[in-house]
Amino acid sequence: MKLLSTYLKEMKIAFRGFYFYIEVVMAAIILIILLVAVKESPVSKEKEFLFYDMDEEIVDTFFKKAFEDGTMVRVDPVDFDVKAQEIEITDKETGETKTKVFEKETITADAIEVYNPDTGELDKTMFITDTEEDMIRLAYSEKTIGAKIWLDDSYKSHYVYYTQGYETERMQSLLYILHNDDIKVLNDTADSLTVRKLGDVEVLNNRQNLVPPFIVLMGSMMGYFIVIAYIYLDKGEGVIKAFAVSPSAVWKYLLSKAFVIMTTVTFSSSVITIPVMGLQPNYLLFYVLLWISTFAFAALGLFIASFFDNMTKAFGILFGGMMVMMLPALSYFIPSFDPVWMRYVPTYPLMQGFKEIMMINGDAKYVLTQCGIFLVGGIIVFLLANVRFKKTLTV
Amino acid sequence: MISVKNLSHLYNKEGKPAVNNISFEVEKGETFGFLGPSGAGKSTTQGVLTGLLKLQKGEVNVAGYDVSHVQNKRFNKIGVSFEQSNVYGKLTAKENLEFYAKLFDVETRDAQELIDLVGLSGKENVRAGEFSKGMKHRLTFARSMINNPELWFLDEPTTGLDPAIAATIKDIINAQKAKGTTAFLTTHNMYIADELCDRVAFIIDGEIKLIDTPKNLKLKYGQKLVDVEYLEGGKTKKETFKTIDEADRNKLAEVIKKHDIQTMHTKEATLEEIFIQVTGRGLV
Ligand SMILES: Nc1ncnc2c1ncn2[C@@H]1O[C@H](COP(=O)(O)OP(=O)(O)O)[C@@H](O)[C@H]1O
Ligand SMILES: [Mg+2]
Repeated sequence: MKLLSTYLKEMKIAFRGFYFYIEVVMAAIILIILLVAVKESPVSKEKEFLFYDMDEEIVDTFFKKAFEDGTMVRVDPVDFDVKAQEIEITDKETGETKTKVFEKETITADAIEVYNPDTGELDKTMFITDTEEDMIRLAYSEKTIGAKIWLDDSYKSHYVYYTQGYETERMQSLLYILHNDDIKVLNDTADSLTVRKLGDVEVLNNRQNLVPPFIVLMGSMMGYFIVIAYIYLDKGEGVIKAFAVSPSAVWKYLLSKAFVIMTTVTFSSSVITIPVMGLQPNYLLFYVLLWISTFAFAALGLFIASFFDNMTKAFGILFGGMMVMMLPALSYFIPSFDPVWMRYVPTYPLMQGFKEIMMINGDAKYVLTQCGIFLVGGIIVFLLANVRFKKTLTV
Repeated sequence: MISVKNLSHLYNKEGKPAVNNISFEVEKGETFGFLGPSGAGKSTTQGVLTGLLKLQKGEVNVAGYDVSHVQNKRFNKIGVSFEQSNVYGKLTAKENLEFYAKLFDVETRDAQELIDLVGLSGKENVRAGEFSKGMKHRLTFARSMINNPELWFLDEPTTGLDPAIAATIKDIINAQKAKGTTAFLTTHNMYIADELCDRVAFIIDGEIKLIDTPKNLKLKYGQKLVDVEYLEGGKTKKETFKTIDEADRNKLAEVIKKHDIQTMHTKEATLEEIFIQVTGRGLV
């Protein structure tokens, strides 16, 4: 009861202040940017990975005409940094499955730009690898289709396509029709149990892919920032002291603050997520992870606020903390930048967790594990904050 | 109601203690005053007694609770008014009181009634952020009595208020006193201490110099003085005589015999004069 009335009072104050509106307006701005400025199409359509299992001179004859009329242009070879991977490859016809384990390495592929003969615009870039394995790895890493092409004794060409597991049946039948029964469609799916990286198997389009980092930014990071701001508003007014000499416990005051943040973040995150993602995510999991992680970050904010008298003194650590928490966004967008220590920054698994929720076949177990970790961590930090607050009340 | 034995409090380990080895008792129904200049350690003492500051050294028992074991329940019968007002600026006067009332397990007073009592009628729906300092102070004061406290802590209840409002606050405190409320009051205003307190402790530099009733103090330390105005050679002369001083008494008798007395009245020493006599320092 006291917790409820404290929460309602805090919400009243939040609605009369401006942080709540800043958060929701920022979410609306991000939504507009996502809808207007970010194209849905995934990058993957613009790349193709090929391995020609034949002599180089024969390969050259394939492209000779295109090079001459300029629809294809050979450009500088490209280096791809590929992470350590474990790729499971399933033969669509026989159902046979084999798993390949790869080390982290740099793969160089020849690059050919393909131009549209009618418009003259760049259509796509073809990358030609030296080995079949390189082709599989790059196709997998870059989330696109790869193919192996070879000639039989009668110079008839054969294709083996490597697709990501999630491509639609329609897309796969299209490949069958294209090549008749000359083709074997192989399926590789990710088994990310042992190695998990931001940017693994992707079923999100460009726009959707931006939602998890923004949710983490608008949820956890803003929550962490705003709870500190609220505490300093209260410290300035001295109202915590009045609370401390009431029969209600200080933890109820702190928890009501966390609840206010969770309410605010529910608004702001929904503003971004629902219009962009529609019904695709598992919203139950989404809100569970959102609330738990926001609680944990609010607890962290409360803990930090207990060490400093005012916002100015807390600013250094507050700002530094936010910077560190934003670093995992780099790994999220730049797959080749993925140092091990980064995985211990809490926002790293959080972004991954939200991504799993957004994906059609997301890993619910992973999300629930993160929920458990954030819940336990959040409660511990909250208890510490409570102890600290009781000690730092002054006359 | 309050029992304090050998209480000391340090804010920083190297520094001088803000409160140094003080002991006192407050009886049920009594209004006990801490009189001393700014920085004497009054608020610090109240802080320890209300549990806002952790008890470092000494034994403190308040309203039947040992303050070293924090129990929030005890605040159902305690009211605390702060030296620096602390109300939610974004809530109206009424919302501030109504919210605070919900934190108690005991019957609470009507918010509007308290607002009227401290002279804020008509301002109940104004946000406290728009209040003047004095108005906020009155709201903080009103809030401290919302649970009909048996024990009432008042840190500088009239400081910074204009005289008319200070008089209202004094009346409210006297009315509560008549109802049997025990009060612990700090002030650097000798009139407040004199008019409201049953007993007063003189505190300076964290130490209690003496504890007594204002009346006893005046009897003990106050010298009875007589101000006389008389005519001498066509001019009005003014002189003050100490009635406990033999020479002064004789002089006074002389004046009365020989001259035409215009005015003559006795004057008691004020608590401030006694404070200066005892501690060697004033109240500001
Ligand atoms: N939060 C604090 N930190 C450090 N020193 C303090 C603090 N509060 C008060 N003091 C010091 O403790 C002494 C007593 O202060 P205080 O109890 O506020 O006196 P009073 O209420 O009698 O004016 C003063 O010297 C003051 O400077
Ligand atoms: Mg004080």
